[in-house]
Amino acid sequence: MTRPAPSPPGRRTALLHWIAVHALGVAAALFFTLPFLFVVLTSLMSDQQALTRDLVPDTWQWDNYRTVWDTPGFLTWWRNTLLYAGLGTVLTVVSSLPVAYALAKFRFRGRNLSVMLVISMMMLPPQVVVIPMYLFWAKQLDLSGTLWPLIVPMAFGDAFSIFLLRQFLLTIPDEYLDAARVDGCGELRTLLRVVLPMARPGIAAVALFQFFYAWNDYFGPQIYTSENPAAWTLSYGLESFKGAHHTDWNLTMAATVLVMAPVILVFFFAQKAFVEGVTLTGTKG
Amino acid sequence: MPGIPRNAALVLAATASLALLTTACTGSSGTGATDDPNAGTTLTFWHGWSAPAEVKAVRANVDRFEKAHPNIKVKVVGNINDDKLNQALRAGGSNGPDVVSSFTTSNIGTFCSSGAFLDLEPFIEKSGLDLEATIPKPMLDYTRFEGTRCALPLLGDAYGLYYNKDAFEEAGITRPPKTWSEFSEVAEKLTEPRGDTYERLGFMPNYHGYETVVGHYMSQWDHAYFDADGKSNIARDPAFAEMFRYQKKLVDDLGGFAKLEKYRNTFGDEWGAEHPFHTGQVAMQLDGEWRLGMARDAGVDFEIGTAPLPVADDEVDEYGKGFLSGTIMGIAPQSKKQNAAWELVKYMTTDTEAVVSFANAIRNVPSTFEALESPDLKTDPAFKTFLDIARHPESSTPPASVNGSTYQTTLQDFGYQYESGKVKDLDAGLARTAKQIDRDIEQAK
Amino acid sequence: MPTHTLRAKHRTSTLRTLAFLSPWLVGFGVFFAYPLVSTLYFSLMRYDGFGVPEFRGAGNWTYVFQDYPMFWPALRNTLWLVLVMVTCRVVFGLGIGLLVTRIKTATGVFRTLFYLPYLAPPVAATLAFVFLLNPGTGPVNSALEGLGLPAPGWFTDAAWSKPALTALALWGVGDLMVIFMAALLDVPKEQYEAAALDGASPWQRFRFVTLPAISPIILFAVVTGVIQTMQYYTQPLVAGKVASGVIGGSGQQFEPGYPDKSTLTLPQLVHNLGFQRFDYGAACVVALVLFALSMAFTALLMRSRGGLIQAGDR
Repeated sequence: MTRPAPSPPGRRTALLHWIAVHALGVAAALFFTLPFLFVVLTSLMSDQQALTRDLVPDTWQWDNYRTVWDTPGFLTWWRNTLLYAGLGTVLTVVSSLPVAYALAKFRFRGRNLSVMLVISMMMLPPQVVVIPMYLFWAKQLDLSGTLWPLIVPMAFGDAFSIFLLRQFLLTIPDEYLDAARVDGCGELRTLLRVVLPMARPGIAAVALFQFFYAWNDYFGPQIYTSENPAAWTLSYGLESFKGAHHTDWNLTMAATVLVMAPVILVFFFAQKAFVEGVTLTGTKG
Repeated sequence: MPGIPRNAALVLAATASLALLTTACTGSSGTGATDDPNAGTTLTFWHGWSAPAEVKAVRANVDRFEKAHPNIKVKVVGNINDDKLNQALRAGGSNGPDVVSSFTTSNIGTFCSSGAFLDLEPFIEKSGLDLEATIPKPMLDYTRFEGTRCALPLLGDAYGLYYNKDAFEEAGITRPPKTWSEFSEVAEKLTEPRGDTYERLGFMPNYHGYETVVGHYMSQWDHAYFDADGKSNIARDPAFAEMFRYQKKLVDDLGGFAKLEKYRNTFGDEWGAEHPFHTGQVAMQLDGEWRLGMARDAGVDFEIGTAPLPVADDEVDEYGKGFLSGTIMGIAPQSKKQNAAWELVKYMTTDTEAVVSFANAIRNVPSTFEALESPDLKTDPAFKTFLDIARHPESSTPPASVNGSTYQTTLQDFGYQYESGKVKDLDAGLARTAKQIDRDIEQAK
Repeated sequence: MPTHTLRAKHRTSTLRTLAFLSPWLVGFGVFFAYPLVSTLYFSLMRYDGFGVPEFRGAGNWTYVFQDYPMFWPALRNTLWLVLVMVTCRVVFGLGIGLLVTRIKTATGVFRTLFYLPYLAPPVAATLAFVFLLNPGTGPVNSALEGLGLPAPGWFTDAAWSKPALTALALWGVGDLMVIFMAALLDVPKEQYEAAALDGASPWQRFRFVTLPAISPIILFAVVTGVIQTMQYYTQPLVAGKVASGVIGGSGQQFEPGYPDKSTLTLPQLVHNLGFQRFDYGAACVVALVLFALSMAFTALLMRSRGGLIQAGDR
């Protein structure tokens, strides 16, 4: 308490207020965390117990995680997901940054239109163009059943990343760029030497978003890889744990934990950049 | 904000119209298989089984084939459903399968008419196979469409009645019901209500009660889904209205839709150990032959009885029939190893030893006469019920249609609306549903 | 000579701009413009992936609008989701945002806990919720019954499946929480102090200071919420599949919308028509409807006052 000590009734109101706010906070925290807790508890039950109303495992079956891990394919899905998310993220950042820079800092005719088109692409549900895209990848390029139809497009700028990076670059004062230009730097060198270091938080946010997007993507892998389990990603493969003839909720929940965990770990390491990024999408340019 | 065009979509369309139009065209390949079935080669075989025990059984079956055909290696890919299968056959890519299979017999129409599965007739002729003498007729029926045989059956499923013998004894019921009227009486006698729920329910009649779907009920009435012109017959064939009325009455007599649904929501998973039949929550269950093994694995503490499902009161002479389904197996048209592929199809679907051991392993119904009679077939009286249903001449499976099982889904949807009381006028509803089915088929043609 | 230099400079700058934009220009053409035109083309054709497309004219359009039994239910569901789910998410997100700005103890812990569910991969989160809301043995219904409350069928009951999806969406409200939190912290303190001096009640302070200050963000949340609803795919599809027990491995085909078409959304129709029925023409019709709706709301977003996303200069 930094304020001057309030009079007793005021202090009591403040205390009541504190209690009310924190009680609500705890209630909300329960709402947000209990599902995680139940999932983890169920993942440690026997398959028989997982189908009962019990909340706490009778016997703590840590082996469930080993079973899931040893499931044929699970490691492949991990590898695929890392490939899709990792390579996709790198390509996205590399291809989106110059576009975002041009849209933020160059003056040219059609710039407003370009930004609008970027926003339109960003808002476009992927299902709108999936039929011709699928036929293109499958029939023209014979790449159905692989991850390439998901990764290659990222080398051509991702609308959301372009938009987010542009929003970020707009906050860099032009004076810095002008100074670099006066020093005789070309635009590419200005981008690499001046903008890149300053834009690091923005790039981190974009990279994280893109990584999570790929990690969580279900529609893309469903369309392009469903026929080839060797190309499945975790999000898509997870569903097969619920295959009809062998429902083991304990294992399904263990797999769920294993799919959620990396995302949460990454979040803890990069919390700041992430929250900045979310805020950036919602605030003015 | 200045300078923003009113309609962003228009701008987009204008820009987009500059782009090129490309249409994909891949002609369907012919049936002139030229590969040498005795040359060394590797086949890719896709199937839909996913449970570890089932996957192992498929592998064991394929191993036996490889031993008999040392020149052919088989790469097996499991857990493939019809969506994936259809998609891959259309993509026609180099990663696609040579030999394919599907659990959805009613998709045979799509497979045969679109050319997604290769016509097997030339191969059957070459091998001199007499199908009529090898495979039971209902199974032959669900593997061809409009004269094209594009698949062969690989084991089958037969649906019958499971009942709790202890509950029957307790209620003084001496034998399973043979007609639907008897069935209603028995179901009511076995039902013990408790307040607004049940101590025990005789039978869960609701269409969401796992296997109690419209198609499975329908097999116990003489019926025809389509007329000679291929138009939906469900509004004209009285069997359909009879079935819907019977089921609705059963629902009402056993406590009403809402009460039954509430009780159904306390059921465990269909494929889990706490299936309501296992737990004794219901005393009778309409189900496939696999339930027997599952119930025993779950360690139920009562004696399990099996019987054919009841039939319509005026069709008693057909008692013993049931709903059939099964796995179908065929060859992908883009396969470059069609002769070798045929060897695998022929082996898995017609070789007695292969069929018997596979049936034993995954506890399904064998799909050839010889395998059904084989002394090696592991069976017991309870399982024999299903073998008999599979052989019964009046057993049936829904007919194939160009758009696969869509017509059944449409009819099923109507069923939900009628049982819940959302739709009251049965005849008008069936007429509307028939129109929808015809329209969907027209769109698919 | 000077004019020549100027023109040369201008030219290089155009080239330079094009060079910087080039990845996106290619992407725009290949992954947006071309498939969009192609979608329009296929919407007029009969094509099932075999042979060549045949001209069908308006046939696919009349089929989808008049006879495809899933179209209107999907549109009605979308309307429901826009009215209820988007509203609930915005109100709840604002509420959590307000709460989080008032929590003074262990602030970081609370924020992180509130935010985490948003990150849960949709398939995993949906699986978890179908399990938690499992009518027979799920902990939620066990608790409800323990309290003597009615236990709904959630994902297995057509009347409750959308509320269940809404619960899932509320669980993942972290994105809105952060946006509202930032906006609330941006409201100038002096305004509150002035209002307090005028003797305004907490409600009046919220109504006359907070709300006006953050109204552009609320509008942003609503419009992006609507656009997200147009794309709502993974959660309703996976929930339907898992709750009905019909998933991939069984070999059975899953008709989306379980139970009773109550979880159908437009993107699922594109998948159903295009990748289950293989009627590419009709699928493209739905795709274009989806396109028109998304673009209409995007235009609204760009035109809305307050410049939430400013396309032009700052």
